[in-house]
Amino acid sequence: MNESTILKTKNLNLWYGQKQALIDISVSIPKNKVTALIGPSGCGKSTLLRCFNRMNDLIDSSRITGEILFNEKNIHDPHADVYAIREKIGMVFQKANPFPKSIYENVAYGPRIHGMNDKKELDRIVEESLKGAALWDEVKDRLHEPGLSLSGGQQQRLCIARSLAVGPEVILMDEPCSALDPIATAKIEDLIVRLARDYTVVIVTHNMQQAARASDYTGFMYLGRLVEFDGTTKIFEDPGEELTENYITGRFG
Amino acid sequence: MARDFSIRARCRNFGWPRDRGTPEIRGPTAGAKRRLIDRAVGKLLFLGALAAIVAVFFIIIFLLRDGYQIVLETGLWNFLAGTEWNPTGRNPAYGVFPLITGTLLVMALAMVIAVPLSIGSAVFIAEIASPRMKSVIKPAIELLAGIPSVVYGFFGLILLTDWIRVTFDQPSGSSWLAGSILLAIMSIPTITSVAEDAISSVPREFKEGSLALGATHWQTIRRVIVPGALSGISAAIILGMGRAIGETMAVLMVTGNAAVIPDPIYDVFSPVRTLTGTLGIEMGEVAFGSTHYHALFGVAVVLLFITLAINSLARVIITRIQGTQGVRSTPPRRVKAAIQRSTPYRAITGAASRIAHAVSAPLRGLVHPRTSQRGAFLLISLSVAIVIAALGVILFEIVVNGAGAITWEFLTGSPRDLGRAGGIFPAIVGTFYLVGGALAVALPLGIATAIYLIEYTADTALTRSIRTAVDLLNGTPSIVFGLFGFAFLVLFLGFGVSLIAGQITLGLMILPTIIRTTEEALRSVPGSLREGSYALGATKWQTTWRVVLPPAIPGILTGAILSIGRAAGETAPIMFTAAIFSTRFLPSSLTEPVMALPYHLFVLTTTVPGAATQSYGTAFVLLILVLAIYLAAILVRRRYSQAKVM
Repeated sequence: MNESTILKTKNLNLWYGQKQALIDISVSIPKNKVTALIGPSGCGKSTLLRCFNRMNDLIDSSRITGEILFNEKNIHDPHADVYAIREKIGMVFQKANPFPKSIYENVAYGPRIHGMNDKKELDRIVEESLKGAALWDEVKDRLHEPGLSLSGGQQQRLCIARSLAVGPEVILMDEPCSALDPIATAKIEDLIVRLARDYTVVIVTHNMQQAARASDYTGFMYLGRLVEFDGTTKIFEDPGEELTENYITGRFG
Repeated sequence: MARDFSIRARCRNFGWPRDRGTPEIRGPTAGAKRRLIDRAVGKLLFLGALAAIVAVFFIIIFLLRDGYQIVLETGLWNFLAGTEWNPTGRNPAYGVFPLITGTLLVMALAMVIAVPLSIGSAVFIAEIASPRMKSVIKPAIELLAGIPSVVYGFFGLILLTDWIRVTFDQPSGSSWLAGSILLAIMSIPTITSVAEDAISSVPREFKEGSLALGATHWQTIRRVIVPGALSGISAAIILGMGRAIGETMAVLMVTGNAAVIPDPIYDVFSPVRTLTGTLGIEMGEVAFGSTHYHALFGVAVVLLFITLAINSLARVIITRIQGTQGVRSTPPRRVKAAIQRSTPYRAITGAASRIAHAVSAPLRGLVHPRTSQRGAFLLISLSVAIVIAALGVILFEIVVNGAGAITWEFLTGSPRDLGRAGGIFPAIVGTFYLVGGALAVALPLGIATAIYLIEYTADTALTRSIRTAVDLLNGTPSIVFGLFGFAFLVLFLGFGVSLIAGQITLGLMILPTIIRTTEEALRSVPGSLREGSYALGATKWQTTWRVVLPPAIPGILTGAILSIGRAAGETAPIMFTAAIFSTRFLPSSLTEPVMALPYHLFVLTTTVPGAATQSYGTAFVLLILVLAIYLAAILVRRRYSQAKVM
């Protein structure tokens, strides 16, 4: 791969209690591209995603060996600031989780917690983030209504806007469309492709068409291992591993 | 890059390092300040939690330690099985057997009265009542829970005992029966509301499945709905038992308090004495460190164990329900499973359905299902009518007689002639002082503890033991707190009978409630919101303060208001720690005793002849005050549930 790498894992292992969820994963996520992680349920793709911004810290029984590098710096360095890491590496969850606040406050929350209090500047950030998430036109007249009053797809785009507002470099998406209808899904897929111009996107998905449509690179995971990682076209048209081919052609999964 | 995406471009103006090439993920950055705040708040919460937890364990250990002394002095067997309780006689005897018997008898008869009425009411509210009817009857029954126990005692003393004496031609109406009737009325709201929850949460599909087979509504209720809710109903009954066992004032005022075992054992007109009543009567006159003193602690420990047993049983059942519904499962399931498989448990849960079955057996086949439905619904409606009538009689009696006693002087004056004249102003203000102080003690500690337990620690053996201790104190009778406050604050620390001793005692009493309700409120905030906040780089405290607490506030507030209502109406914890019967002045410092409405009512009723008008007036004012507080809680809750629909 010739692109510069933004995230990299070296021999990453992860356990939840006694159960090993990730086994010896070494992967490089290229910058400003969309990388999809696919694989059957329980294969560890969401777990891997949650390693990148250390969300697994919140699960008490989790334990890690190996390295995760973000721009060549170890995110588990004892001096690393986990809050700064999550500021740079945002996350969008499977089920939209807007805060029970207004649309405006949902987006302004991130900048506020990072010390931004200037009203004018906040207004601008909110507007630009909502535009960035292709939601502005739909909500500009009702910014002070509750975020929960939006439809499911709009809520998910609100969550994307929320993560854009803190100015991340990477956006991790954990099956962001699994709870959405096809039209809302299409909108988010468009958005993902557009976001890749300026951000690095890593997306976990169950939907292989989605991976094929929206991603530049694809990693196939199975039983905690990364079986294959390559350009999306290559993976879908000429996979190197039989396991990958079986999965993609629907022979199991 | 094709175009400068404006968000990224803007980020450079943010004022902290956000350079695109080499992001600074190593501290110290400009985020150092909030990390410092985060850590400081964490420490502070830890200290608050530590203080509360130390207090909780200290109370338990203090009681056990002094209670153990009596075992050393008289021997365990003599203490528990001794049939004579006479601590002040020439040959003092410290056998608690009559007291335990009295407690269990009063409780058992109360349950015999309360259980059918409560389950009838629960079925009525959940299954039969129209929405409009439900919206009247449900709060009406809950209202019964809001009436302070001393008001029940007052009502029992002036009306109920008299009624028993005349109707059954007894020399005195102060009896086991009187105590049980009062306790039945007091535990009906507990049993009804928990049972109604259980019945309402039986899945709709079950009911529809039965009705679709042509079963009548009553057949469906009896064969599908009630069996489906059986564990919840058992838990409700057990919680009602806990409520009945812990009650002090009402029982103390109407049971006659002779430490005898009724002879014959079913003589419901015999006077009896309960464990709680004994503490209430004798605590004030006991010498510090004497055998009698230790014996009273022994009584408190016995009470503690009984409530522990009852509450654990209820909790086992409730956890089992949650387990089957897949809500939450806790590790020591095997132990619980063993308990559930055990014979007594099966006997309890099985008995109800078997009895219902046996009773209806002779009728089966003879009576048309629609006729039996009519009969059953009639009985159910009757039970609701009885409960509502009881509420009506109590409210009518107190409102009609009490409102007449209210004059300007009564509300703003000081008592004269032992409370037979003058007013109750110092008692009203004293009650506010006590409750305010209790809140000042319990609210910060309780909320800090709950936040620490839910947000800052993992679920470990330590937090589980803390929760168990908190639960234990939560179910502990208020008189036990009174005993602790009296022994530790008043005597040991030398505070004397004082405002501060009462405030701390009441504060400790409501602390477990505040911890529990706050924990529940925090737990009901979905974890996904926390994740959303963390994923944006928020610290723990930022997440807690800005995301978790705001939606939890109504729940915390409701818990706090309910605690206020409880603290305002309680007599037992303050009667030996803070309250004085008659004073013309308000306390000028924390070390002076105060008047308080519930205690004033208690003394007026039990020891001052010829103060009936003032008693009614005081009961009325107390009732209005406490009900107003509960109304506030209901309004908060209603606003909250409307907000949630949004």
